[in-house]
Amino acid sequence: MDGHANWITGRNEAVTKRVFDKEADRRRAFNELAETYGVDLYRYAMWICGNDALARDLIQETFLRAWKALESLQDKGAAKSWLITILRREYARTFERKVPQFTDVETIDPPDERELGPDDQAEIRNLRAGIMQLPPKYREPLLLQVVMGLSCDEIAEKLNVSKNAVMTQLFRAREQLKERLQRDGVTGNVHGLF
Amino acid sequence: MSMDYSDYKRWLGADPTSQDADFLAARHASPEFEQAAREADAFERKLNHALRIDAPTEFMADLLDIAQPARGTEPVARRRWMPIALAAALLMAVGAAGVAWNLNRGSGMVEEYLVAHYAMDGAQLEAMAAGHSATNVEAILAELRYAAQPEFAALIGFVKHCPTPDGKGVHMVLNTERGPVTVILMPSTSVADRSSRLENGMEARIVSLSRGSIAVMGMNSVVVEELAASVRESILPAAGAPA
Repeated sequence: MDGHANWITGRNEAVTKRVFDKEADRRRAFNELAETYGVDLYRYAMWICGNDALARDLIQETFLRAWKALESLQDKGAAKSWLITILRREYARTFERKVPQFTDVETIDPPDERELGPDDQAEIRNLRAGIMQLPPKYREPLLLQVVMGLSCDEIAEKLNVSKNAVMTQLFRAREQLKERLQRDGVTGNVHGLF
Repeated sequence: MSMDYSDYKRWLGADPTSQDADFLAARHASPEFEQAAREADAFERKLNHALRIDAPTEFMADLLDIAQPARGTEPVARRRWMPIALAAALLMAVGAAGVAWNLNRGSGMVEEYLVAHYAMDGAQLEAMAAGHSATNVEAILAELRYAAQPEFAALIGFVKHCPTPDGKGVHMVLNTERGPVTVILMPSTSVADRSSRLENGMEARIVSLSRGSIAVMGMNSVVVEELAASVRESILPAAGAPA
Protein backbone atom coordinates (compact mmCIF):
# COMPACT_ATOMS: atom_id res chain seq x y z
CA MET A 1 0.00 0.00 0.00
CA ASP A 2 2.82 2.30 0.93
CA GLY A 3 4.43 1.46 -2.36
CA HIS A 4 1.23 2.31 -4.20
CA ALA A 5 0.88 5.59 -2.28
CA ASN A 6 4.46 6.46 -3.06
CA TRP A 7 3.90 5.66 -6.69
CA ILE A 8 0.84 7.95 -6.75
CA THR A 9 2.74 10.70 -4.95
CA GLY A 10 5.66 10.29 -7.28
CA ARG A 11 3.43 10.35 -10.34
CA ASN A 12 1.62 13.45 -9.11
CA GLU A 13 4.91 15.18 -8.50
CA ALA A 14 6.04 14.30 -12.01
CA VAL A 15 2.81 15.63 -13.49
CA THR A 16 3.04 18.76 -11.36
CA LYS A 17 6.62 19.27 -12.44
CA ARG A 18 5.68 18.91 -16.10
CA VAL A 19 2.87 21.43 -15.69
CA PHE A 20 5.21 23.86 -13.96
CA ASP A 21 7.90 23.28 -16.56
CA LYS A 22 5.39 23.97 -19.31
CA GLU A 23 4.23 27.14 -17.58
CA ALA A 24 7.81 28.25 -17.03
CA ASP A 25 8.63 27.59 -20.68
CA ARG A 26 5.56 29.54 -21.72
CA ARG A 27 6.57 32.50 -19.57
CA ARG A 28 10.12 32.35 -20.85
CA ALA A 29 8.88 32.33 -24.47
CA PHE A 30 6.58 35.26 -23.78
CA ASN A 31 9.25 37.29 -22.01
CA GLU A 32 11.58 36.68 -24.93
CA LEU A 33 8.94 38.04 -27.31
CA ALA A 34 8.29 41.09 -25.16
CA GLU A 35 11.97 41.84 -24.71
CA THR A 36 12.83 41.28 -28.37
CA TYR A 37 9.97 43.09 -30.05
CA GLY A 38 8.36 45.30 -27.38
CA VAL A 39 10.41 48.41 -28.05
CA ASP A 40 10.10 48.28 -31.85
CA LEU A 41 6.38 47.60 -31.59
CA TYR A 42 5.96 50.57 -29.26
CA ARG A 43 7.77 52.82 -31.76
CA TYR A 44 5.66 51.43 -34.58
CA ALA A 45 2.47 51.96 -32.56
CA MET A 46 3.51 55.51 -31.71
CA TRP A 47 4.05 56.35 -35.35
CA ILE A 48 0.80 54.84 -36.56
CA CYS A 49 -1.45 56.31 -33.87
CA GLY A 50 0.52 59.39 -32.85
CA ASN A 51 -0.34 59.14 -29.18
CA ASP A 52 1.60 57.76 -26.25
CA ALA A 53 -1.34 56.59 -24.13
CA LEU A 54 -3.03 54.91 -27.08
CA ALA A 55 0.25 53.33 -28.19
CA ARG A 56 0.70 51.87 -24.70
CA ASP A 57 -2.85 50.57 -24.79
CA LEU A 58 -2.23 48.95 -28.14
CA ILE A 59 0.99 47.34 -26.97
CA GLN A 60 -0.61 46.15 -23.76
CA GLU A 61 -3.50 44.66 -25.69
CA THR A 62 -1.19 43.13 -28.29
CA PHE A 63 0.89 41.33 -25.68
CA LEU A 64 -2.18 40.30 -23.66
CA ARG A 65 -3.55 38.61 -26.76
CA ALA A 66 -0.15 37.18 -27.59
CA TRP A 67 0.10 35.68 -24.09
CA LYS A 68 -3.31 34.08 -24.41
CA ALA A 69 -2.65 32.72 -27.89
CA LEU A 70 1.01 31.82 -27.45
CA GLU A 71 0.38 28.16 -28.31
CA SER A 72 -0.82 29.17 -31.77
CA LEU A 73 2.63 30.54 -32.58
CA GLN A 74 4.27 27.42 -33.98
CA ASP A 75 7.13 29.07 -35.85
CA LYS A 76 9.35 31.25 -33.69
CA GLY A 77 10.65 32.94 -36.85
CA ALA A 78 7.16 34.23 -37.59
CA ALA A 79 6.80 35.91 -34.17
CA LYS A 80 7.45 39.47 -35.33
CA SER A 81 5.00 39.24 -38.18
CA TRP A 82 2.45 37.60 -35.85
CA LEU A 83 2.74 40.42 -33.30
CA ILE A 84 2.44 43.08 -36.00
CA THR A 85 -0.75 41.41 -37.24
CA ILE A 86 -2.22 41.45 -33.73
CA LEU A 87 -1.26 45.08 -33.23
CA ARG A 88 -2.71 46.21 -36.57
CA ARG A 89 -5.94 44.38 -35.81
CA GLU A 90 -6.16 46.05 -32.42
CA TYR A 91 -5.53 49.44 -33.98
CA ALA A 92 -8.34 48.82 -36.48
CA ARG A 93 -10.61 47.94 -33.57
CA THR A 94 -9.94 51.25 -31.84
CA PHE A 95 -11.41 52.97 -34.87
CA GLU A 96 -14.45 50.70 -34.85
CA ARG A 97 -15.06 51.59 -31.21
CA LYS A 98 -14.74 55.30 -31.82
CA VAL A 99 -12.12 55.71 -29.14
CA PRO A 100 -11.04 59.37 -29.26
CA GLN A 101 -8.06 59.90 -31.54
CA PHE A 102 -5.15 62.11 -30.63
CA THR A 103 -2.08 63.34 -32.42
CA ASP A 104 0.56 64.26 -29.92
CA VAL A 105 3.59 62.51 -31.36
CA GLU A 106 5.22 65.89 -31.77
CA THR A 107 4.93 66.38 -28.03
CA ILE A 108 6.88 63.21 -27.28
CA ASP A 109 10.39 64.01 -26.21
CA PRO A 110 12.72 62.83 -28.95
CA PRO A 111 15.79 60.87 -27.93
CA ASP A 112 18.85 62.79 -26.89
CA GLU A 113 19.82 65.04 -29.79
CA ARG A 114 22.54 66.98 -28.08
CA GLU A 115 25.08 65.56 -30.49
CA LEU A 116 23.29 67.36 -33.31
CA GLY A 117 23.75 70.99 -34.23
CA PRO A 118 20.75 73.34 -34.45
CA ASP A 119 20.39 72.87 -38.22
CA ASP A 120 20.45 69.11 -37.93
CA GLN A 121 17.89 69.21 -35.13
CA ALA A 122 15.66 71.39 -37.30
CA GLU A 123 16.02 68.97 -40.18
CA ILE A 124 15.12 65.99 -38.01
CA ARG A 125 12.10 67.84 -36.63
CA ASN A 126 11.05 68.67 -40.17
CA LEU A 127 11.46 65.04 -41.17
CA ARG A 128 9.37 63.90 -38.20
CA ALA A 129 6.59 66.28 -39.16
CA GLY A 130 6.84 65.03 -42.74
CA ILE A 131 6.49 61.41 -41.64
CA MET A 132 3.38 62.27 -39.63
CA GLN A 133 1.88 64.01 -42.64
CA LEU A 134 2.53 61.21 -45.10
CA PRO A 135 -0.67 59.59 -46.34
CA PRO A 136 -1.22 56.33 -44.41
CA LYS A 137 -0.74 54.26 -47.58
CA TYR A 138 2.84 55.59 -47.80
CA ARG A 139 3.57 55.90 -44.09
CA GLU A 140 2.64 52.40 -43.04
CA PRO A 141 4.91 50.49 -45.45
CA LEU A 142 7.71 52.88 -44.58
CA LEU A 143 7.26 52.19 -40.86
CA LEU A 144 7.05 48.45 -41.43
CA GLN A 145 10.28 48.63 -43.41
CA VAL A 146 12.36 51.05 -41.34
CA VAL A 147 11.02 50.55 -37.82
CA MET A 148 10.01 46.90 -37.94
CA GLY A 149 12.60 45.75 -40.44
CA LEU A 150 10.23 43.87 -42.73
CA SER A 151 11.27 43.05 -46.30
CA CYS A 152 9.21 44.26 -49.26
CA ASP A 153 7.77 40.76 -49.68
CA GLU A 154 6.73 40.65 -46.03
CA ILE A 155 5.16 44.10 -46.24
CA ALA A 156 3.25 43.08 -49.37
CA GLU A 157 1.88 40.06 -47.56
CA LYS A 158 1.00 42.06 -44.47
CA LEU A 159 -0.79 44.80 -46.41
CA ASN A 160 -2.29 42.39 -48.89
CA VAL A 161 -0.92 44.20 -51.93
CA SER A 162 1.63 43.27 -54.60
CA LYS A 163 5.34 43.68 -54.05
CA ASN A 164 5.43 46.17 -56.92
CA ALA A 165 2.79 48.28 -55.20
CA VAL A 166 4.84 48.24 -52.00
CA MET A 167 7.99 49.27 -53.88
CA THR A 168 6.09 52.18 -55.45
CA GLN A 169 4.66 53.29 -52.09
CA LEU A 170 8.05 53.16 -50.42
CA PHE A 171 9.68 55.08 -53.26
CA ARG A 172 6.99 57.78 -53.15
CA ALA A 173 7.16 58.02 -49.36
CA ARG A 174 10.88 58.76 -49.51
CA GLU A 175 10.47 61.12 -52.44
CA GLN A 176 7.86 63.15 -50.54
CA LEU A 177 10.11 63.40 -47.51
CA LYS A 178 13.12 64.42 -49.60
CA GLU A 179 11.07 67.03 -51.43
CA ARG A 180 9.89 68.42 -48.12
CA LEU A 181 13.44 68.79 -46.85
CA GLN A 182 14.53 70.49 -50.08
CA ARG A 183 11.47 72.75 -50.20
CA ASP A 184 11.84 73.90 -46.61
CA GLY A 185 15.51 74.55 -47.18
CA VAL A 186 16.70 73.26 -43.83
CA THR A 187 19.99 71.60 -44.58
CA GLY A 188 22.06 70.62 -41.62
CA ASN A 189 25.58 69.31 -41.81
CA VAL A 190 24.19 65.84 -42.06
CA HIS A 191 26.95 64.38 -44.12
CA GLY A 192 29.42 65.23 -41.43
CA LEU A 193 27.30 64.14 -38.53
CA PHE A 194 25.46 61.08 -39.68
CA MET B 1 23.62 42.71 -65.09
CA SER B 2 22.16 45.67 -66.87
CA MET B 3 20.22 48.12 -64.80
CA ASP B 4 19.61 51.60 -66.12
CA TYR B 5 19.97 54.60 -63.87
CA SER B 6 16.23 55.22 -63.63
CA ASP B 7 15.49 51.67 -62.45
CA TYR B 8 18.41 51.82 -60.07
CA LYS B 9 17.23 55.11 -58.50
CA ARG B 10 13.76 53.67 -58.10
CA TRP B 11 15.09 50.60 -56.33
CA LEU B 12 17.33 52.78 -54.20
CA GLY B 13 14.34 54.87 -53.16
CA ALA B 14 12.19 51.86 -52.35
CA ASP B 15 14.60 49.42 -50.73
CA PRO B 16 17.99 51.03 -50.15
CA THR B 17 19.27 48.23 -47.93
CA SER B 18 18.33 45.48 -50.35
CA GLN B 19 20.86 42.65 -50.41
CA ASP B 20 19.99 41.64 -53.95
CA ALA B 21 23.23 40.82 -55.80
CA ASP B 22 22.37 42.84 -58.92
CA PHE B 23 21.42 45.82 -56.83
CA LEU B 24 24.59 45.64 -54.73
CA ALA B 25 26.69 45.40 -57.87
CA ALA B 26 24.89 48.39 -59.37
CA ARG B 27 25.89 50.58 -56.43
CA HIS B 28 29.42 50.56 -57.79
CA ALA B 29 28.58 50.55 -61.49
CA SER B 30 29.71 54.13 -62.10
CA PRO B 31 30.51 57.36 -60.19
CA GLU B 32 26.94 58.50 -60.85
CA PHE B 33 25.53 55.31 -59.31
CA GLU B 34 27.95 55.58 -56.36
CA GLN B 35 26.94 59.18 -55.70
CA ALA B 36 23.24 58.21 -55.68
CA ALA B 37 24.01 55.40 -53.22
CA ARG B 38 25.87 57.80 -50.89
CA GLU B 39 22.95 60.24 -50.92
CA ALA B 40 20.49 57.43 -50.26
CA ASP B 41 22.59 56.16 -47.35
CA ALA B 42 22.74 59.66 -45.85
CA PHE B 43 18.97 60.03 -46.15
CA GLU B 44 18.41 56.64 -44.51
CA ARG B 45 20.53 57.69 -41.55
CA LYS B 46 18.42 60.81 -41.16
CA LEU B 47 15.22 58.82 -41.54
CA ASN B 48 16.29 56.33 -38.90
CA HIS B 49 17.22 59.14 -36.56
CA ALA B 50 13.88 60.88 -37.10
CA LEU B 51 11.95 57.69 -36.36
CA ARG B 52 13.71 57.09 -33.07
CA ILE B 53 11.42 57.22 -30.06
CA ASP B 54 12.61 56.01 -26.70
CA ALA B 55 10.21 53.45 -25.30
CA PRO B 56 9.21 54.13 -21.68
CA THR B 57 11.36 51.79 -19.63
CA GLU B 58 8.92 51.12 -16.81
CA PHE B 59 6.13 50.39 -19.27
CA MET B 60 8.23 47.88 -21.16
CA ALA B 61 9.13 46.21 -17.87
CA ASP B 62 5.43 46.06 -16.98
CA LEU B 63 4.78 44.03 -20.11
CA LEU B 64 6.63 41.15 -18.52
CA ASP B 65 4.09 41.23 -15.67
CA ILE B 66 1.52 39.84 -18.08
CA ALA B 67 3.20 36.47 -17.85
CA GLN B 68 3.72 36.50 -14.10
CA PRO B 69 1.68 34.10 -12.00
CA ALA B 70 -0.89 35.59 -9.62
CA ARG B 71 0.63 36.50 -6.28
CA GLY B 72 -1.72 35.11 -3.66
CA THR B 73 -5.47 34.92 -3.90
CA GLU B 74 -6.69 37.47 -1.38
CA PRO B 75 -6.39 41.19 -1.97
CA VAL B 76 -4.30 42.72 0.77
CA ALA B 77 -5.92 44.87 3.48
CA ARG B 78 -9.38 44.57 2.02
CA ARG B 79 -11.10 44.41 5.37
CA ARG B 80 -9.20 47.38 6.74
CA TRP B 81 -10.27 49.41 3.73
CA MET B 82 -14.03 48.88 3.77
CA PRO B 83 -14.81 50.72 7.03
CA ILE B 84 -12.83 53.68 5.73
CA ALA B 85 -14.89 53.65 2.57
CA LEU B 86 -18.15 53.58 4.49
CA ALA B 87 -17.09 56.38 6.84
CA ALA B 88 -15.99 58.47 3.90
CA ALA B 89 -19.32 57.82 2.21
CA LEU B 90 -21.11 59.34 5.18
CA LEU B 91 -18.84 62.40 5.20
CA MET B 92 -19.35 62.76 1.50
CA ALA B 93 -23.13 62.67 1.83
CA VAL B 94 -23.08 65.40 4.49
CA GLY B 95 -20.77 67.71 2.58
CA ALA B 96 -21.99 67.19 -0.96
CA ALA B 97 -24.72 69.81 -0.88
CA GLY B 98 -22.31 72.72 -0.56
CA VAL B 99 -20.04 71.84 -3.43
CA ALA B 100 -20.28 73.53 -6.81
CA TRP B 101 -19.04 71.39 -9.68
CA ASN B 102 -17.18 72.53 -12.70
CA LEU B 103 -18.95 71.12 -15.71
CA ASN B 104 -16.96 71.12 -18.92
CA ARG B 105 -18.18 67.85 -20.32
CA GLY B 106 -21.61 67.05 -21.60
CA SER B 107 -23.38 64.29 -19.69
CA GLY B 108 -23.00 61.41 -22.08
CA MET B 109 -19.65 62.07 -23.64
CA VAL B 110 -17.68 60.65 -20.72
CA GLU B 111 -20.09 57.73 -20.43
CA GLU B 112 -19.64 57.02 -24.14
CA TYR B 113 -15.89 57.01 -23.66
CA LEU B 114 -16.16 54.68 -20.64
CA VAL B 115 -18.21 52.14 -22.58
CA ALA B 116 -15.81 52.23 -25.55
CA HIS B 117 -12.77 52.05 -23.31
CA TYR B 118 -14.12 49.18 -21.21
CA ALA B 119 -15.03 47.27 -24.38
CA MET B 120 -11.42 47.49 -25.46
CA ASP B 121 -9.82 45.53 -22.64
CA GLY B 122 -11.80 46.14 -19.44
CA ALA B 123 -12.96 42.58 -18.88
CA GLN B 124 -9.55 41.13 -19.70
CA LEU B 125 -7.80 43.43 -17.28
CA GLU B 126 -10.30 42.53 -14.56
CA ALA B 127 -9.51 38.87 -15.16
CA MET B 128 -5.80 39.61 -15.01
CA ALA B 129 -6.15 41.57 -11.79
CA ALA B 130 -7.93 38.77 -9.94
CA GLY B 131 -5.81 37.57 -7.05
CA HIS B 132 -3.03 39.93 -7.98
CA SER B 133 -1.61 42.96 -6.22
CA ALA B 134 -0.15 45.57 -8.55
CA THR B 135 3.35 46.61 -7.61
CA ASN B 136 3.62 49.60 -9.91
CA VAL B 137 0.78 51.77 -8.61
CA GLU B 138 3.02 54.47 -7.23
CA ALA B 139 5.07 54.84 -10.42
CA ILE B 140 2.08 54.89 -12.76
CA LEU B 141 0.24 57.52 -10.71
CA ALA B 142 3.37 59.57 -10.05
CA GLU B 143 3.93 60.00 -13.77
CA LEU B 144 0.67 61.94 -13.86
CA ARG B 145 1.45 63.60 -10.53
CA TYR B 146 -1.02 61.72 -8.38
CA ALA B 147 -0.62 59.48 -5.37
CA ALA B 148 -2.87 56.86 -3.81
CA GLN B 149 -3.57 56.28 -0.14
CA PRO B 150 -2.06 52.94 0.90
CA GLU B 151 -5.43 51.39 1.76
CA PHE B 152 -6.70 52.19 -1.71
CA ALA B 153 -3.47 51.12 -3.43
CA ALA B 154 -3.65 47.76 -1.66
CA LEU B 155 -6.89 46.97 -3.48
CA ILE B 156 -5.43 47.58 -6.91
CA GLY B 157 -4.80 44.37 -8.81
CA PHE B 158 -3.83 45.95 -12.11
CA VAL B 159 -2.86 49.45 -13.19
CA LYS B 160 -1.68 50.99 -16.45
CA HIS B 161 -1.78 54.20 -18.39
CA CYS B 162 -4.60 54.58 -20.86
CA PRO B 163 -6.10 57.15 -23.23
CA THR B 164 -8.89 59.36 -21.90
CA PRO B 165 -11.00 62.01 -23.66
CA ASP B 166 -8.42 64.71 -22.86
CA GLY B 167 -5.09 62.94 -22.76
CA LYS B 168 -3.26 60.32 -20.81
CA GLY B 169 -5.00 58.77 -17.80
CA VAL B 170 -4.82 55.72 -15.58
CA HIS B 171 -6.79 52.49 -15.76
CA MET B 172 -7.03 50.61 -12.46
CA VAL B 173 -8.78 47.41 -11.49
CA LEU B 174 -9.64 47.04 -7.81
CA ASN B 175 -10.30 43.64 -6.26
CA THR B 176 -13.15 43.89 -3.78
CA GLU B 177 -15.02 41.20 -1.86
CA ARG B 178 -17.95 41.77 -4.15
CA GLY B 179 -16.14 41.58 -7.44
CA PRO B 180 -13.80 43.67 -9.54
CA VAL B 181 -14.27 47.39 -9.94
CA THR B 182 -12.68 49.37 -12.74
CA VAL B 183 -11.49 52.88 -11.99
CA ILE B 184 -10.43 55.34 -14.68
CA LEU B 185 -8.52 58.45 -13.65
CA MET B 186 -8.93 61.32 -16.15
CA PRO B 187 -6.48 64.06 -15.11
CA SER B 188 -7.64 66.64 -17.65
CA THR B 189 -11.36 65.97 -17.81
CA SER B 190 -13.73 68.07 -15.71
CA VAL B 191 -17.12 66.60 -14.93
CA ALA B 192 -20.23 67.12 -12.87
CA ASP B 193 -20.56 64.39 -10.25
CA ARG B 194 -23.15 61.87 -11.28
CA SER B 195 -24.18 58.23 -11.32
CA SER B 196 -24.95 56.52 -14.60
CA ARG B 197 -26.12 53.18 -15.84
CA LEU B 198 -23.84 52.56 -18.82
CA GLU B 199 -24.96 51.05 -22.11
CA ASN B 200 -23.00 47.90 -21.30
CA GLY B 201 -25.08 47.40 -18.15
CA MET B 202 -22.39 48.54 -15.73
CA GLU B 203 -22.95 51.08 -12.99
CA ALA B 204 -20.68 54.10 -13.09
CA ARG B 205 -20.07 56.87 -10.61
CA ILE B 206 -18.18 59.83 -12.03
CA VAL B 207 -16.53 62.07 -9.46
CA SER B 208 -14.64 65.32 -9.86
CA LEU B 209 -11.26 65.65 -8.14
CA SER B 210 -9.35 68.77 -7.24
CA ARG B 211 -7.58 68.10 -10.54
CA GLY B 212 -9.39 66.09 -13.17
CA SER B 213 -11.94 63.43 -12.43
CA ILE B 214 -12.37 59.76 -11.83
CA ALA B 215 -14.89 57.16 -12.93
CA VAL B 216 -15.69 54.09 -10.87
CA MET B 217 -17.35 51.27 -12.82
CA GLY B 218 -18.67 47.88 -11.80
CA MET B 219 -21.64 45.58 -11.90
CA ASN B 220 -22.48 46.08 -8.21
CA SER B 221 -23.88 49.55 -7.64
CA VAL B 222 -23.38 49.40 -3.87
CA VAL B 223 -19.66 48.68 -4.23
CA VAL B 224 -19.33 51.34 -6.91
CA GLU B 225 -20.98 53.92 -4.66
CA GLU B 226 -18.87 52.93 -1.66
CA LEU B 227 -15.63 53.25 -3.55
CA ALA B 228 -16.67 56.41 -5.35
CA ALA B 229 -17.62 58.04 -2.06
CA SER B 230 -14.09 57.83 -0.75
CA VAL B 231 -12.13 58.12 -3.95
CA ARG B 232 -11.57 61.84 -3.49
CA GLU B 233 -9.63 61.09 -0.31
CA SER B 234 -7.88 58.12 -1.85
CA ILE B 235 -6.45 59.59 -5.04
CA LEU B 236 -4.66 62.83 -4.36
CA PRO B 237 -2.43 65.18 -6.32
CA ALA B 238 1.16 64.30 -5.52
CA ALA B 239 3.22 66.76 -3.50
CA GLY B 240 4.13 69.70 -5.69
CA ALA B 241 1.47 68.98 -8.32
CA PRO B 242 -1.02 71.72 -9.14
CA ALA B 243 -4.32 71.22 -7.37
